Amino acid sequence: MCKVLTLIILIPLISFSQEKDMAKSLYSNMVGDIEFNKETDKEDFELCYEKHIFQYFNNSGGFEYEGEKLAIEKEFAEKYKSENIKNETGLIRIRFVVNCKGKTDRFRLISMDENYNEKVFPRSITDQLMNITQNLKGWKVKKHKKKEIDYNQYLIFKIENGQLKEILP
Amino acid sequence: MKTLTYFFLLCPIYLFSQPNCNAFLYKGDTLQYKACIEAEKTEKLYQFQREFQETLDNAIKICPNFAYAYREKSTAYLKSGDFLTWKKLIDKAVDLDFGSNLGYRAWCRYQFFRDYKGAIKDIEKLDSLVSYNIGYSINGDYHLNIAKGICYSALNQKRKAIKIFNQQLNTKDYSAGLFDYYQLGVTYYEVKDYTNALKSFGKQSEINEFADNAYYKCKVYKTLKNLKEYKKYKEAALKLYTENKKLFDPYTHHFNNVYYEIIINE
Repeated sequence: MCKVLTLIILIPLISFSQEKDMAKSLYSNMVGDIEFNKETDKEDFELCYEKHIFQYFNNSGGFEYEGEKLAIEKEFAEKYKSENIKNETGLIRIRFVVNCKGKTDRFRLISMDENYNEKVFPRSITDQLMNITQNLKGWKVKKHKKKEIDYNQYLIFKIENGQLKEILP
Repeated sequence: MKTLTYFFLLCPIYLFSQPNCNAFLYKGDTLQYKACIEAEKTEKLYQFQREFQETLDNAIKICPNFAYAYREKSTAYLKSGDFLTWKKLIDKAVDLDFGSNLGYRAWCRYQFFRDYKGAIKDIEKLDSLVSYNIGYSINGDYHLNIAKGICYSALNQKRKAIKIFNQQLNTKDYSAGLFDYYQLGVTYYEVKDYTNALKSFGKQSEINEFADNAYYKCKVYKTLKNLKEYKKYKEAALKLYTENKKLFDPYTHHFNNVYYEIIINE
């Protein structure tokens, strides 16, 4: 009898705790946090401060790359093979983490059409963009309070009929 | 006086940061007032924080028509380049209160996503719906009409862009913004109107000199084969650049910004 009573008392508590966990799962700690995925990410990619990854603009230095954005534009102009593919138009964003040593990983891709609707571009476009982005080596090490930090960075590619028109931000 | 003008130009950044909850109470809208009081709790939170988003969700639960909450929620997505989530949230804010949010959406479309056509559409729509001055970009850099001119310039409609820039600059009681004459000058340069380009760069120097402006002067003089002035302004541009006096945006890049390597190789 005592056991049954205990069970009855505990049921609402268990159910309440599940509800709270589900509510929590709506957001990550910070908008845009990139969780480690062992299927796609490097095991040996080290972060100095796993618990807080900054945004690239938090140190007021903005976009910081060796040779500025011009160096990135040149890299893509040289390596990206543009194809004329009708209606393959929109934006592709690749977001990733630059660690405290200036190395990159945890690349994630989203894309949209001209009307901000989710769109899947052909792999002939996205694979190229991803490969070139993964091989960019000039990201600067950023500091906060004199300490090297890990930070989130992204590149957005403006595509018009398969052609790479602009790189943002 | 000029400094004061620029202070007010930059004010929108801060003005929008806090809603005036009592205004809702004054209008008798107690639901929005309560939602607004809830939203005030985000004051000390960072836009990217989970708690920031959750607090605004609570405000929306209190009043689903509270436009401010949708707009504030959208900002972190905008700054992280998540155009999909940003657009859904900002559209909701615009639907609920176009007067406060349509110009802002226009600017963000341009600044973060180089959506020139979308930005023009929003600015023109706002202009057609209101009788007052449509105002400035959220960071205070440009009047929205100048932003519209920039978008037309980016779409290669240079003559139209020049017309829009000049219309705004000649508007009664309008004080030129920090970079207006630079954008006008570059556009004149692109249509090979070097006389007006130099005039504009000169006016820009009087308001706010920076490396990019000096670089374009050097470029014009090079085209005009004036070696002395070309060298003078190339050196000036390099000096200004090393002093960090250049077009800068903490999130993105200015339209027509110039890089160090471009100047040195000119």
